[in-house]
Amino acid sequence: MVDFGILLQILFWGIYAGCIYILLATGLNLIFGVMKVVNFAHGEFLMIGAYITVTIFVLTGFNPYCIILLSMLALIGIGAVVERLCFRPILGTSKLNEIFLSIGLIYIFQNGAAMIWGDEWQSIRSPYQGITVPVGSFNLPLDYVIIMVVTAAILVALYLFLKKTRTGREMRATSQNRKGAMLVGINVERMDILSFGIGCALAAAAGTLWVVSGQVFNPYMGSIPAVKAFAIIILGGLGSIPGAIIGGLIYGIAENGAAYFLGGVWKDAISFIILIIVLVVRPTGLFGESGE
Amino acid sequence: MKLTRDEWTRWGIILTVAVALIAPFLSGNLYLLNLLSLMLICIIFASAWNLLAYSGQGSLGHAAFFGIGAYASTLIAVKSGVSPYITIFLGAAVAAFIGILIGLTCVRLKEWFLAMVTFGFAIIVQTITVSILTPVTGGWDGIASPRLLSPDIPGYQLIEYYSILIITIASIIAIWYIMKSRIGLAFLAIRENELEARASGVDPVRYRLLAFAMSAYLAGVAGALEIHHIGYITPEIFGVDLSFWPVTYVIFGGLGTLAGPIVGTVVLTIIWEGLKMAGLTFARYVIVGVLLILVIIFLPKGLVDLPDQLQKWWKARKKA
Repeated sequence: MVDFGILLQILFWGIYAGCIYILLATGLNLIFGVMKVVNFAHGEFLMIGAYITVTIFVLTGFNPYCIILLSMLALIGIGAVVERLCFRPILGTSKLNEIFLSIGLIYIFQNGAAMIWGDEWQSIRSPYQGITVPVGSFNLPLDYVIIMVVTAAILVALYLFLKKTRTGREMRATSQNRKGAMLVGINVERMDILSFGIGCALAAAAGTLWVVSGQVFNPYMGSIPAVKAFAIIILGGLGSIPGAIIGGLIYGIAENGAAYFLGGVWKDAISFIILIIVLVVRPTGLFGESGE
Repeated sequence: MKLTRDEWTRWGIILTVAVALIAPFLSGNLYLLNLLSLMLICIIFASAWNLLAYSGQGSLGHAAFFGIGAYASTLIAVKSGVSPYITIFLGAAVAAFIGILIGLTCVRLKEWFLAMVTFGFAIIVQTITVSILTPVTGGWDGIASPRLLSPDIPGYQLIEYYSILIITIASIIAIWYIMKSRIGLAFLAIRENELEARASGVDPVRYRLLAFAMSAYLAGVAGALEIHHIGYITPEIFGVDLSFWPVTYVIFGGLGTLAGPIVGTVVLTIIWEGLKMAGLTFARYVIVGVLLILVIIFLPKGLVDLPDQLQKWWKARKKA
């Protein structure tokens, strides 16, 4: 019989890993909702966010959790540039083009980062390393608690932005009906840039949380989490943010469960096995209504 | 002399084959010979990917078939002692069989759903190779693979090059034949409009599976050739990099055309090696990435389309 404490530990590990996936998947979902574009290079923004955090942290020694805002701001800018230069020209052409373009972006970002920061695995120490919070029978690292709280705060802020502000409403209108939004005078191209930028900022937040929790990183770290984030939004339904949150948690927990019970090499494979099973049964995803 | 389009094509083909035939004699350099052999293998691989894309299915996990063909051929050759010249085709048959299985999970999927599943599949295969199959595959360390020809034979590299060249030409002729035949037409019909294709009696499921099988077979041949050429195989062969290369080559050359993968592979290899000589490492990828994006945006039909575009531009300029 498996120890209950271990199950609890897997659960918390899973929620922590899930937080990063949720941020990535929510950003992708936002971009997909507004632009109907998929960006396989989304993980590269996570990586850039991580490196920006580390660079600022090493230079200034600020509390890394405060740098999250700076890295998000920087990525809004980078995202806007990428959208304007790369995705805008191919909007409305073949869907496969987006995938091919993402491959180009992956080459550029990964190796550009390797040129600037080198391609070794690195890691930094969190200021709260070693501090734990007792939860039931075992001790939860304080970093995990902070990460869960920060993720929740970002998601609540995004929710308020989308529901309560004028820009947020315009963005939702664009995602519901692009032509209709144009007709009522919404600048949809501005919405494109904005949603892409916010999506990238969420990825940057994920990157910051990744490094400050003490995990190792290198310029190639982004591809696998990004593809998993895709698997999550397929699982949760395209454009559905609650779906992304549930999917992210399921993936985080399943992965850590698989790593514990089957061995570490299965960590990545299990996500895709889940994805393939789900797609064989329901080609439009668990909560998706119609195929895109 | 004014040449028609067909004549241009014919002379182009003759010239290409002639260059490929005499290339090894232009320089006695073994590095160049090795490079040419690997380039030919990449042409087969890219053409295989292109065949699948021709039926409207863009795969991001073709390294899976490349690797399965390589592993299967190596293992058959090691266990049975048969010459790699035969096991290449047996290994590829294994890849084709797996291709059909993957095809079965993909028949209802499109565009990036399909891309995701194929991408994930390459990772699953890699995981299985290094976990359950470790006793046969040697896990992460890999295993030695029999060479195509024993290095004792004088001039074996030259014979190897011509063997690979013959297989490449045969593959391209086969693909040309498939594209021209009813099967190719069916692929096109499915790609353009699946509903209409079905209305006119084309069974999309069957043809999609067929495309998967043929593409996986050719990718398997390419993988087996490469591994028997190098002489060693590790699970790195299933890596993301190898899945992206054929895509890059094909997009560069021209998606869905016969010449696209060839032109793309040759041009990119030249650029790649040129940049390597200039001493660039990471910057090579950045440059290729930028070129790729420029091609997608400004030359959506790839480099094959460049002469037409230039002609158009030239005429427009003359008029103005």
